[in-house]
Amino acid sequence: MSIEEQYRTRAKELLSGGAVKMVIGYGKGSTSDRRRPLFISSTDEVDRLVLDDACIQNLSGYLVSEGLLSDEKRVAVFLRPEGIRAINILAAESQLDAEQIVIFGFDVIGTEVKALKGIHVEEFSDVINSIKKGAPEAKEEELFEKIEKMSPQERFSFWQEEFAKCIKCYACRQACPMCYCRRCIVDSNQPQWVNTSSHTLGNFEWNIVRAFHLSGRCVECGNCDRACPVNIPLRLINHRMAEEVLGAFDHFAGMSKTQEPVLASFKKDDSETFIL
Amino acid sequence: MTKILFSDKLDNCVERWKSAGLTVIGPVQRANISTYAAVEHAAELDLGLILTDRSIKDLFFPQSEPMLRYTIKKESIDTDECLPPSGPRIIFGARPCDSSGMAIDDPLFGWDYKDEYWFQRRNESVIVTIACTKADDFCMCTSLKMAPDSSKGSDVLLRPLAGGKGWVVEEVTDRGREAFKTITDILQESSDTAAPLAVVEKKFDLDSCVTWLQNPENFESRFWKEISMRCIGCASCTFLCPTCHCFDIQDEGDTYTGIRRKNWDSCSFALFTMHTSGHNPRSTQSARWRQRIMHKFNYFPGKFSVNSCSGCGRCSRQCPVDMGITETLQEISKLSQ
Repeated sequence: MSIEEQYRTRAKELLSGGAVKMVIGYGKGSTSDRRRPLFISSTDEVDRLVLDDACIQNLSGYLVSEGLLSDEKRVAVFLRPEGIRAINILAAESQLDAEQIVIFGFDVIGTEVKALKGIHVEEFSDVINSIKKGAPEAKEEELFEKIEKMSPQERFSFWQEEFAKCIKCYACRQACPMCYCRRCIVDSNQPQWVNTSSHTLGNFEWNIVRAFHLSGRCVECGNCDRACPVNIPLRLINHRMAEEVLGAFDHFAGMSKTQEPVLASFKKDDSETFIL
Repeated sequence: MTKILFSDKLDNCVERWKSAGLTVIGPVQRANISTYAAVEHAAELDLGLILTDRSIKDLFFPQSEPMLRYTIKKESIDTDECLPPSGPRIIFGARPCDSSGMAIDDPLFGWDYKDEYWFQRRNESVIVTIACTKADDFCMCTSLKMAPDSSKGSDVLLRPLAGGKGWVVEEVTDRGREAFKTITDILQESSDTAAPLAVVEKKFDLDSCVTWLQNPENFESRFWKEISMRCIGCASCTFLCPTCHCFDIQDEGDTYTGIRRKNWDSCSFALFTMHTSGHNPRSTQSARWRQRIMHKFNYFPGKFSVNSCSGCGRCSRQCPVDMGITETLQEISKLSQ
């Protein structure tokens, strides 16, 4: 039986027994290479679920949709390892109760879909550990290496050109499972902390604020990067910040549901005399 | 015999237009995105694209526009009005859906208040549209009762010749005729005929959708919630849309001095309708998506007798969660049968 069939069967069992109220997975998209988020709450619809190498989007953000989990019922969700890490962070940041989440874990190696064993987030710690171990040596993409070799001025020009394209549609924010704030700082207008205009200053403010806010929290699922309609390589910023945090604090985001947020915790014996 | 503009003469045209004082703008690839920008030479133009990622709207209604500079003094407020940079321009190589989008928005910007930012740019621009011989899965002009060779909103319509050697010239407006007078001697008479147009499959029945939308009973239909459940509430669809025209006016600066700007805004955002009390009449994403569809196919045509959609398909093409007007209207088509 293929993983897709296995997971359909499991979804049917969970829904019919009332163990979960909804399964969030993937369905066919508008073209043959597209998959779209699918919300299934009846067993009749289970066969619409698709699982293949085109299932890329990290679906964990839907779990913190207003009101979804407030009835304390369980919800099942298809997640890659990055998505599972996101669940840990959301739980650590008190955005959801991990007990309510039933995981249909999978990974894609090349074009092959592999099932990940487990149901609850704790059961995936080995998978996450092995990703953390591989992180420092993981081959980085060419563009990243190119930017690393640039002088600060060249790098600034590179990002200036990229951010000039930003239209402040906030697709990056909306696609991000970590951007769950009910009211984002840029939407706060009394006072207006961040310029709403998508001019040079406004675009820098937005993208830099977001990069810092995601440092130590981003799981590099790529949702923001794929959502960006003007093709700003946002993944590169987040990857750079994740590297910094890993190097400085040995912190790999989303290891467990009790992991302390790196930029929101401190130790008495910290070598720094000042907390940013 | 028809008038032909051969591709290898395009650079001469660009030179000619530039000497006549026109800024030449067209589709280009810049920093990993296709958009419209000013060019110096024809070689910079990318005329093979089905459609640019960014719409032509940017040239008439930019994402952020200064309106005035102000200084608040003890007894008075000094203001210094900002108007868009002035100067004639020719936009070469727009697609019919983009050009018609501008014509769709004309009545809106000229309705109760004549938006001088919009009309100054409109009056100073010549739009030369190239009919489409290629389309992708998301193109839907025919569903909107338009065509790959619609001349609406265009000053000149060019029909590509087979083999990409050039274009058959059809002057549509006096402004277009005027701009092409400068290149009369570059154009050639020829018996070459235009290549077949792109085949754009009709995806939904617009009339039945509109009837469904106009029925007040459907306003509270469960359909809205189901269709928009995966909507993440970004403004990608509205900002890339050639006809979406909502904006917000913001003052940027300190207490005494600053600049008033007109910035794009989107009905997708929760903040769009948020009251100061905290109450939000469109409190859910489904209500916001319904508004977008209702506006385009019910309210806007009710006021201006034209749908606020030209069928470019960018909303579906670029949606991070594979939604869009096409799918919604296809589903409404099914419901109304």
